Amino acid sequence: MNHFPEAWGRPRDDVYGPYNPSYLQTTGPKTHTQSPAVTGTSVVAVKFNGGVAIAADNLASYGSLARFTDVKRLRKFGNSAVVGFSGDVSDMQYIDRLLESIDIRENYSTHGNTLNAKNLHTYLSKVLYKRRSEFNPLWNHILVAGFDEDKKPFLSSADLLGTTFSAPHLATGFGAHLAVPILRRLFPDEKPAEAVSRDEAVAALRECLKVLWYRDARSLDKYSIAVISEAGIEIEEDQQIEAQSWAFAEAIKGYGAQVN
Amino acid sequence: MTTLTGQPSSEAIGYSFSKATSAPIREHSFYPYTDNGGSTLGITGSDFAILAGDTRSVAGYNINSRYAPKVFKIGGDDETGEGAHILLSVVGFAADGQALKERLDAVVKMYKYQHGKPMSVMACAQRLSTIFYQKRFFPYYVHAILAGLDEDGKGALYSYDPVGSYEREQCRAAGSAASLIMPFLDNQVNFKNQYIPGSGEGHALEPKKPEPLPRNTVEQLVRDAFTSAVERHIEVGDGLQMMVITKGGIEEIYYPLKKD
Amino acid sequence: MSSPFDINGGACIAMVGKDCVAIACDLRLGMQALTVSNNFPKIFNYGPSTFLGLTGLATDVSTVSDLFRYKVNMYRLREERNIAPQTLANLVSSSLYEKRFGPFFVSPVIAGINSTTGKPFICGFDSIGCIDFAKDFIVSGTASEQLFGTCEGLWEPDLSAEDLFETISQALLSAVDRDALSGWGAQVYIIEKDKVTKRLLKGRQD
Repeated sequence: MNHFPEAWGRPRDDVYGPYNPSYLQTTGPKTHTQSPAVTGTSVVAVKFNGGVAIAADNLASYGSLARFTDVKRLRKFGNSAVVGFSGDVSDMQYIDRLLESIDIRENYSTHGNTLNAKNLHTYLSKVLYKRRSEFNPLWNHILVAGFDEDKKPFLSSADLLGTTFSAPHLATGFGAHLAVPILRRLFPDEKPAEAVSRDEAVAALRECLKVLWYRDARSLDKYSIAVISEAGIEIEEDQQIEAQSWAFAEAIKGYGAQVN
Repeated sequence: MTTLTGQPSSEAIGYSFSKATSAPIREHSFYPYTDNGGSTLGITGSDFAILAGDTRSVAGYNINSRYAPKVFKIGGDDETGEGAHILLSVVGFAADGQALKERLDAVVKMYKYQHGKPMSVMACAQRLSTIFYQKRFFPYYVHAILAGLDEDGKGALYSYDPVGSYEREQCRAAGSAASLIMPFLDNQVNFKNQYIPGSGEGHALEPKKPEPLPRNTVEQLVRDAFTSAVERHIEVGDGLQMMVITKGGIEEIYYPLKKD
Repeated sequence: MSSPFDINGGACIAMVGKDCVAIACDLRLGMQALTVSNNFPKIFNYGPSTFLGLTGLATDVSTVSDLFRYKVNMYRLREERNIAPQTLANLVSSSLYEKRFGPFFVSPVIAGINSTTGKPFICGFDSIGCIDFAKDFIVSGTASEQLFGTCEGLWEPDLSAEDLFETISQALLSAVDRDALSGWGAQVYIIEKDKVTKRLLKGRQD
C-alpha cells in the first residue's frame, strides 16, 4: 500500500520509466495534436460503371502495435456515400460524430437527406482545411465515394492539410505507393471507369489489399469493403484475405532475419 | 521487478508528477503546407488573354491525380463557370489555391450583387492583392496569375507573389517549371536579345520591338513551353489546360501531355 | 546559397548541329551578389577542335583547366597526336573520380569534332565524373534550369553552323538574363570540320 494518495493510479517509474513530464505540463504554451496516436493504414477505392468500390482493413495500430483488430474504417453516410478513413482513429471518431449529427439533422429536416458524396467531400475538406489553418489538424487522409448531383460515380480525397484531388482510382498512405500502380495497370486511362465492371473493381480492390497485407507491416488480413451503386450501399465488414501465397517471401534476401 | 524501459530501478519507488517540468517545451512539428507542383503560364494579346496550366498534382514523388485543374473561371456559375469574365490560375499549395479561388469568386460575385455591374479586372487585381496581404503572416502559399480583358478590351494579365505584391505584365510563368519557361517567353514573346538584322553597325543594332502576338501564335508558344517543361521537369505533365478569354467569352482547351 | 557551386556564378552550354558543334559560356565572375569581373571566360581549348567548358567554383575552374592543360600536354607528348574529344571525356571523368571524396566543385562540358570520324561530340559531367552523353545539348552552371528551358524550346536537330550560332546565342543570353549570378557578356565557339569561329556577345551588363 502506497501511503501517498497523490501517487495512486500513477505509473511507477521503476516499471514504466519516468513519465515524459511535458505531457503533464500545466503551464507553457497550449499544444495541439502534433502526431497521430492510434492509426489506421491505407484506404483504396476505384470507380466502375455505375458506382464506386472502396475498401480498408480493420486494424487500428498504436505505433507498431496492432492494438485494435476490429475497427471499421469505412463509414456509411445516408444511402449514397461512404467515407474511408486513414490516419488517427480518435480524429476519425470525432469526424464520425460530426457526420452523424449532420445526418440526423438532415433526416429531421423537412427537405429530407439531400447531401450527396460530393457535398460531403466539400464539407469534410473544409473541416480539415479549417483545422489545419488553426494549427490543430485532424490527422486523417480520407476518401469519399458515392455519387455527385448528376448521379455520376464520385470519388475524391482530402487530407489533413485540406488538399483535395480526384481520380478514377485513389489510395491513401501505403496504398498510394502499392495499390495505385496496380489499379493504374488494371484500369489504364484508355479504359475509362465506364468500361470497368463492378466485379472487376471489387476483385481489384481485394487484390490490392492482399498486396498491402503482404508488404505493409501496419496492415491486417481482415478488411471491410463497400460497393456504392444505384441500388444503394452494400458494405461487408468481416472479410478475410483469401488465397494468400507467401512463396515470394522465400526469395527476400538482404535484410531482416535472412541476411545472405 | 522487471523494468520495461531499461531504467535502473532505485530503492525508493518513484512516481511522475506534473510539477516535474524541467523537460523542454515541445516544439510544434506540424507543417501546414505542402507543394503540389505543376506550372502555370499566362500571355496576353491585343484582344485576348491566355492562361494555361498543366493538370498534374503531386505530393513528393507521388502523382496524386493526372487531372487536377489549376486554372479557374472567377465570378461565374459554380458548376459550369458560365458568365465568368476573369480567369485565375494558382500553383503551389493546392489547398490554399482552392481556398483563394473560392474567396475571390465570392468577392467578385458580391461585387456584382452590390454594385449591379461586373467587377473590372483592374479592381479584381487590387482586391486579390489585398486578400493575399490579409494573410501576410500565414500566407496563401501560391503563385497566382489573374487574367481578363481591361476597359479597352485589351488582354490584361496580373501576376502575384504569395504575400500580394503584384504587377501587370505581358507574359508570366509560375510554378515549379517557371525558371525553365520564363526565359523562353522573354525571348519569344518580348523578343529579348533579338535585334533587327542590318539596322546598324556592331552594337548599334536596333532591338526588335515587342508587339502583341496573334492568338494562334500564342497558343503554339504555350504548347511549346509546356512540352519543353515536361521533358525536363518531373512535376509537370499529364495534361495542358488552356483558357482563352476574348470578348466572346471564355474558351477552354485541353491538350494531352506526356504522362511519364 | 552557400553551395560552392553557387558562389562565383556562371553558365556554360554545348549544342550539336549538322556536322558542327557549338560551345558557349558567360563572362561573369562574382563573389555572391557582387560582380568582381566581367571578363572571366569558362571555355578552354585542348586541341584543334576540342573544347572544355567549366562552371562552378572559380578557383576550381582555374585549377581544373590548368590540370587538364598539363594532362593533355603530357598526352600529346607521349602519343604524338592531338587528344580526341571522347578521350578527353574519359580523362575528365577518371580525373574527377580520383577526387571522389573531396571533389572539385565544377560541372564540366565538352564539345568537339572527332578528327578521325569527323563526327560531332558533346558531353557533360557531374562534379565526380559521371558522364552525360547527350545527343542534343548539355547545360551547366547556376543558370542550368533556365538553360534547360531555352534549349528545350529553341533547339532542333541538324542546324547549320550559322543557325546553330543563332540558337546557342539566343538560348544562352535569354537564360543568363533570368539568372542573377550569370551574364555580363558571352563567348561562343562554333566548331566545324576544319574551322573554329570564336565570337564575343555583348549581352546585358546588369
